[in-house]
Amino acid sequence: MIVPEFLLKKIYQKGTLKKDDSGVSFELKNILGPGFISGFNFVQINDKKFESADVVFVTDGTEIKGNEVTEETPLKFRLGQKGTIKIADTTCIQDGLNKIIIEIMNPEAGKVIVKFEDNV
Amino acid sequence: MNITFDKHSLIIDGKREFIRSGSFHYFRTPGYELAKDRFMKMKSAGYNTVEIYFWWKYHSAKQGEYDFSGIKDVEKVLQAAKDVGLYVISRPGPFINSEVSAGGFPLWLIKDKDVIPRNRIGTEYHYSEKYMQYITEWYDKIIPIINKFDNVILFQIENEYANDEMDETYMRKLYDMARERGIKCPIFHNDAAPWGLWADVVDIYACDTYLYINPNQNWRKDCFCFDTLDNLECVFECKENAPSFIAEMQAGWFDKWDGSGYEHIRKDLSDEHINIVTKTALSQGVTLFNHYMCAGGTSWGNIACDEVYTSYDFTAPISEYGVLEDNYFKVKEINYFLKSFGFTNTEPVDNIAVKDENGVYSKIRKDNENSCKWLFLRNLNEEEKAVKVFEKYDSLIKPYDMKVCPVNLKLYACEIEFSDIEIFARLKNDDKETIFLIADENTYMYLSNGDKISGNKKDFDNLKFEENGKITQFVFLTRNLCKKTWINNNKVIFNADYVAKNDTIALKKSAEISYFDLKHGFSRNSFKTRPQTNHTLTLKNLDVSFCAPEIDIDYDYSSWKKLECSKYDSLSCGLSDEFTFYKGKIPKNIEEITLSARHLFAVYINGKEILSRNSYKIEKLQQIPETIQIHLDKKVLTKEDNELTILVENLGFDKGFSGETNHPRGLVTFETNPKYDVKFSVNEKLSIERGDNRESDSPYLAKITGTFDVKFREDEIFSKYLYLKNFPYRRATIFLNGVKIGRYIKRANVQDKFYLINEFLKEHNTIDIVVWQKSRNIHDSWDFKNEMKNVIIEVGDEIRYQLF
Repeated sequence: MIVPEFLLKKIYQKGTLKKDDSGVSFELKNILGPGFISGFNFVQINDKKFESADVVFVTDGTEIKGNEVTEETPLKFRLGQKGTIKIADTTCIQDGLNKIIIEIMNPEAGKVIVKFEDNV
Repeated sequence: MNITFDKHSLIIDGKREFIRSGSFHYFRTPGYELAKDRFMKMKSAGYNTVEIYFWWKYHSAKQGEYDFSGIKDVEKVLQAAKDVGLYVISRPGPFINSEVSAGGFPLWLIKDKDVIPRNRIGTEYHYSEKYMQYITEWYDKIIPIINKFDNVILFQIENEYANDEMDETYMRKLYDMARERGIKCPIFHNDAAPWGLWADVVDIYACDTYLYINPNQNWRKDCFCFDTLDNLECVFECKENAPSFIAEMQAGWFDKWDGSGYEHIRKDLSDEHINIVTKTALSQGVTLFNHYMCAGGTSWGNIACDEVYTSYDFTAPISEYGVLEDNYFKVKEINYFLKSFGFTNTEPVDNIAVKDENGVYSKIRKDNENSCKWLFLRNLNEEEKAVKVFEKYDSLIKPYDMKVCPVNLKLYACEIEFSDIEIFARLKNDDKETIFLIADENTYMYLSNGDKISGNKKDFDNLKFEENGKITQFVFLTRNLCKKTWINNNKVIFNADYVAKNDTIALKKSAEISYFDLKHGFSRNSFKTRPQTNHTLTLKNLDVSFCAPEIDIDYDYSSWKKLECSKYDSLSCGLSDEFTFYKGKIPKNIEEITLSARHLFAVYINGKEILSRNSYKIEKLQQIPETIQIHLDKKVLTKEDNELTILVENLGFDKGFSGETNHPRGLVTFETNPKYDVKFSVNEKLSIERGDNRESDSPYLAKITGTFDVKFREDEIFSKYLYLKNFPYRRATIFLNGVKIGRYIKRANVQDKFYLINEFLKEHNTIDIVVWQKSRNIHDSWDFKNEMKNVIIEVGDEIRYQLF
């Protein structure tokens, strides 16, 4: 299934990109439809790529590491549900505009790549 | 036919119509008679519309050439729908998906380097003038045929389309092309998910709703999959003044290679899924739905994309064999109810019906047509739920059940204040109505006169009310009898396995049939079927021959197509069949061959197998490319010029839903070490398909032949299967009277039972099973040829009805 870019961009909740002492965080919202996330392949912030083990996803009151989300242990992500991606790195982000790419897996659609840009 | 619409419904010749449609693939259920059979079964289940994909590739093997003859005569298919009395939703693509090879595109189209299928590369929009020009060719052929039929009520452009830019040029051109060619009915597109895409381009917005697309998922447990469906009314706001249309509402699901098997999917979905999905859609104001699929089919020949195997049963209400399944009877119940009350003009009501929801979904709709309300109650819990409705009525809802309950429904001689006894159907004339109710303990009907009627009843228990010379009669039917109850033209027939058009009764065994109509009341008749005979037979006196002379040394392939370029894949070679033979010579100094092929292949040198491999592998929804290196032993290359044969089986092109339709098939890459430019000659199809019946020296492909007879009777309908019982071989291709009807490939949940498609059956029939075996397995057998004669091939009846 092809999800048009304009819809994918809406998954990122504009204005939520934040940086603090513990790292970088931003919010996602499922606007596509109910389903599962079966993997966080990577998150790229500007030129720095973070593997799934470095990604933390907080949703529905639970904090889960990216590499704990697999085909065998998928994560339920309901329509309208929000979640926060956290990365414990402060060097990747810069003042002004930042380019971010997230690649997640869905059991039915395969790779879902979300690209967006935002200021801190 | 004049077709308009407003926000509530389609309006046909000035009359509101609820469109109860089901999908049917004429290419997977070939021939006028089969089409008519499936359409009649749909009509008998209360559908009023059939949705038909028109498949471009099926009709066009070469650019500029179109075949609409024989089983490809779509005019006959449309005529069958008209004869039966069904409207048609026409979907000529150009892209159709439907798990067909290349998503419906002709191979000559996707081969053309100047064509960008769907004006899209990956997810990016790239307009292709040549692609558009070829669509003109297709539309010029198919639309005039569609235009001959005034029962065509809707026309779809493209299918499940999107691109990153959402550039509208392509879609607007398709719309204009349809209009320029005389399409008068409303035009829509089917959005892959309820995202509101292309709503501005079309007349009516429509979308897919599939809640269950992963058989590993438990839809009962993960009931959050209803999130979208439960909010569908908001989605349809993207198109003002147009009715809510689900162009593909899940009625089943397809199984894939290495899937969980149709038995599992059917059990998993059961009749509960179609009941809940359809009624939830009704609760969201949908007045046009199309169950995909309504009738399953067979991917015979080269129909299938690489994802699916021969059976495309889809766990549809009408199975691949034409059997009426449990979900058929559930749909019949829903359709009869809808037909009885119209349901074409309703509005959501904000009132809360159930305060403490207790996990129960409830929704009220005001019915402007019947001046009443309908309360939808759904229980997606594994236990029964008790709720208090309108703070007054107790109602128990069974697990995974959904009901449509009338509220303040004024009838001729009484008024239903509230009832959770479900209504099966209503028959009425000017002064009398009979309402058939589904008997069920723990359900009640509350009348405005204070009566409380229990649903705990037996078949035909009834109550009558009279008021001002008008009569309302309630007749109870148990659910089992509902299954066998058929309504046609205000006449009810009870206890029949199936009733076709003109009240033809179909029975598996003798039965007492009851009739009812408003004028004559009840009557009875007994029907005695002929004694049952066992129609299962095991084919005897099997003949076995080796049938790949192409692999033999010194086979004359001088007439084959010689490849001039370095690309060997089937599209580059201009080949379209499942099987491709590649032949060439290699010198004795070759140490290694490196190749990749899709999907199954074997390499033979000087008539001996070097490698046999299945390269069809899927991981994370992507096909995994596989490149194989074969080290050549000096003992293999015994001559100066050694004969190389590569046989590749292509399981179909990508359907193009996510990937590209023109991914290469056949021999994709080939290299030798040291480098040598092999001059390949190619030919497609198995030798028996080319009429070459010479016995081969090589045993790798062996043909098992058996025969059987079929007795055709005017007063019977039947469908037959072929069963490969405990089949010991890895790969086989099955032919019925020369027509390829199935692929057997040993995998988990392998399909070993194949539909002997009625259209291809004759009085005297020949089955050929071409077994493609590995060298090792052949040599493990002390007498392979004789061993094969012991294969058990059963032919039997999947259904057999006697007609009265």
